Amino acid sequence: MEAIRLEQVCKSFGDVRAVDHVCATIPAGSLYGFLGPNGAGKTTTIRMIMNILQPDSGTLRILGDDSVEQAKARIGYMPEERGLYRKMTVAKVLRYFGAIKGVAEQDLARRVPAWLERLDLAAWANKKTEELSKGMQQKLQFAVTVINEPQLLILDEPFSGLDPLNVDLLREIILEMRQQGKTVLFSTHAMHDAEKLCDSVLLINRGRIILDESLAALRSRRRSHTVCAELEGDTSFIERLPMVTAVTAEANRMEIRLADTADPQELLRAMVDRVRVQDFEIKVPSLHEIFVDLVRSSNAEDPSSRPA
Amino acid sequence: MRKILQVALREYVETVKTKTFIIGLLMVPVIIGGIILFAGRFSSDQGGPRPPMRVPVTDLSSAAWPQIQAAFDQHNRSHPGKKVLVEALEAQPNPDAVQAEAKTRLRERQIDGYIVLDKDVVTGSGKVWLYSYKPRPADLDGLWTVEGILQRIVVDERCKARGITPEVLAEIRSVSVERVDVGSTGEAQRVEGRDVIGAKMMVPFFFMYLMFMGVAGMGQHLLSSIIEEKNSRVIEVLLSALSPFELMAGKILGLGAIGLTVISLWAAGAFAAARGQGLEMEVTAGLGICFVTYYILGFLLFSSILAAIGSLCNTIKEAQGLMMPVMMVSIVPMLAWFKLVQDPNGTLARGLSFVPPMTSMVMILRLASSPDIRIGEILFTIALLAATVLGAIWVAAKVFRTGILMYGKRPGLREVLRWLGQS
Repeated sequence: MEAIRLEQVCKSFGDVRAVDHVCATIPAGSLYGFLGPNGAGKTTTIRMIMNILQPDSGTLRILGDDSVEQAKARIGYMPEERGLYRKMTVAKVLRYFGAIKGVAEQDLARRVPAWLERLDLAAWANKKTEELSKGMQQKLQFAVTVINEPQLLILDEPFSGLDPLNVDLLREIILEMRQQGKTVLFSTHAMHDAEKLCDSVLLINRGRIILDESLAALRSRRRSHTVCAELEGDTSFIERLPMVTAVTAEANRMEIRLADTADPQELLRAMVDRVRVQDFEIKVPSLHEIFVDLVRSSNAEDPSSRPA
Repeated sequence: MRKILQVALREYVETVKTKTFIIGLLMVPVIIGGIILFAGRFSSDQGGPRPPMRVPVTDLSSAAWPQIQAAFDQHNRSHPGKKVLVEALEAQPNPDAVQAEAKTRLRERQIDGYIVLDKDVVTGSGKVWLYSYKPRPADLDGLWTVEGILQRIVVDERCKARGITPEVLAEIRSVSVERVDVGSTGEAQRVEGRDVIGAKMMVPFFFMYLMFMGVAGMGQHLLSSIIEEKNSRVIEVLLSALSPFELMAGKILGLGAIGLTVISLWAAGAFAAARGQGLEMEVTAGLGICFVTYYILGFLLFSSILAAIGSLCNTIKEAQGLMMPVMMVSIVPMLAWFKLVQDPNGTLARGLSFVPPMTSMVMILRLASSPDIRIGEILFTIALLAATVLGAIWVAAKVFRTGILMYGKRPGLREVLRWLGQS
C-alpha cells in the first residue's frame, strides 16, 4: 500500500519550472524526510499533494484516491505558513478545526483536552491565540494538524521556531505515530532533524528528485573513506601505506583519508601489528555531507535548467 | 454540507462578538433616530435663534406702514429668537436720494434688507421691492419671513380697498381639507394626519434602507473576514480540511444569517418605535416573505462578488478600490428612491428592477409603496436574480479558488479571466 504516489508531476510559475517531472512513492507506514535547498520545490510539491495548487501535468494518488478532496479527513497537513484565528481561544480553534475535518463532537470533547495536555498548552486553553508565544502557537498548529488522528501526516518545516525541548517533544510524538502505523512526510532543511528521525529521504533540487532512498541503504552505499584513530607509538608509517591518501594529525588523534578502493579493515590490521590502537572509528557520512555533496554535483551537472 | 454549516457557525459566532459589529448594530438606529429627531426640531422652529435683522421700509403708497409695523411687532413677540426690526424710512423730500442712501447702507451691512412699496401697490399692480446685498444662507430664512408677511399685508389691503372686510377675508381663507383613507370596509375609514402620510412615504424607503444595510454592511464583514484569513495565513490550514467552495459557501451563509438577525432586530425596533409614536404601519406577511427572498438572493449576489474581490486582495484598502463600482450600483436606488416611490410602476422603477444588482432594493421599495405590483413581475425578477446569483457563484468560486492562495501582486483582469476557463 502506498500513501502517496506522484507520477510525472510538473508545475511552472511563469518561466520558472518549480517542479519538473517528479515521480515518487511514499509507502504507507514510512517516515519520510523531504529535503532540499531553499526554493527547490518542496512546498510546491506538498501543496500539489494537498490540491492547494494544481499540477500543470502528471497524476497524484493520495491514500488510494485520485483526489485529495475525498481523503482530506484522513490527512493532517501543517503548512509552512502557519495560521490560526487570532481572536479565538486555543480550545475553540482546536475544536473548530477538528469539526471541519469531520471529527465527531464526542471525540472532540475527549481529544481537545488530551492534546492540549500533551503539548503543555492546557493552562492556555481559554486564552486567545494571539496571546501565545510563537513556539506555543507552533505547538497549537501541530495539535490542529493531528486533531483528526490522520493516517497521513504532511508537515512542512515542523521544527522551525521551536526550542530544543519542544523539538524533542514533537519528535517523540512523530515517532509514536509511526509506531501506530501512520505515514509521515515532513520537509526540512535541518539535516540533523532528518537524520535522527526518518527512515527514508527524498531529496529534491531545482524541481527534480535527485535521491529517493532509505537512510540505511544510503549510508552503506556511500561508505566513508575517512577513519579517525587514536594510536600509541610511532605512527609515521601510516602516511607511507599505499591505501592512505592523506593524514591530518592533532596530538595522538589523527584523521586518515583512504583511497576509494581501500577497506578500513585492512588499515586496522596494519595498525595493530605496529602500534597500540586506543580508538578506531570509521566515520559515517552525515546526511549533511551527503546533502551538500549531492546538491553540488546535481547543480554542476545541470547548470542551465533553472536560474540559480 | 456539515462542513459548510460548521464554517457558517464559526463565522456567525465570531463576527457577532466583534466590537465593530456591535457598534455597527447599535450605531445605525442611533444615527437614524438622531437625524429624525434633529430634522424634526429643525423644521419646527426653522433653526436656532439668529441676531435680529434690521429692515427699513419706504412706503411710497403711504397706505400699508401701520399694518406692516403691527405685523412685525406681532412676529417679533411670537419669535423672540428671530426678530425682524422694521423702521419707516420717509421718502420725503427726495425719494430717489433716500433709496440710494439706503442701498449704500445695505452694501455696508449697516442694515440687512430694505423694502420699498410702490405708490400703487394697493390700488393698482405696483410691486413690493425687497433689496438685499449678497445674502448669507442664514439671512434667507429671515428674508422669506419678510416676504411672506408683506405679501399677506398687501393682499389684506387690496381686499379692504375693494370693500372686503378682514372677517370675510378670514372666512374665505379658511379652507379645511380632510384626508380620509376609505380602508377596505366602510367602518375602517380613518382620517389621516400629515404625519401618517409622511410615514407612508418613509416606510418603503426604510425597507430599502434595511435591504441596503443588510446586503452592503454584511458584505463589508465578509470582505474583512476573507482578507483577515488571508493575512493570518490561516487559509492554507482551512483548505487542508475544506474545499475552497465549502469555505466560501460557509462564510456567505454565516454572514447572511447575521444579516437576517440584524435586519430583524432593526425592523422590530423601528416597528416598536413607530407604535410608540402612534403610527400604524401595515406590514403584510407577503411583504415579509418577499423581503426575505429578495434579501437572500441579493445578499448571495453581492457577497459572491465580494468574496471574489476579497480573495484577490491583500489589504482592505486594495479591496475597497475594487468595491467602488459595486457600491456605486447599489447606491443608485438610494438616490432615486423618491421618484421610485412616487411612481412604483413607472418605466424607471420597472427598468431598474431588471438590473440584478439593484433588483432586491428596487423591488422591495416598489412592493412597500404600492400593493398592485403584478405577481408575474415579482416571480420574473426573482427568477432573473436567482439565475444571476448562480452565475455569480460559479464565477466567484473559480476566482476564489485560485485567488485565495495568491499573495503579493494582485493578478490582472486577463489572468482572472483565464482562471474562469480552468476546470
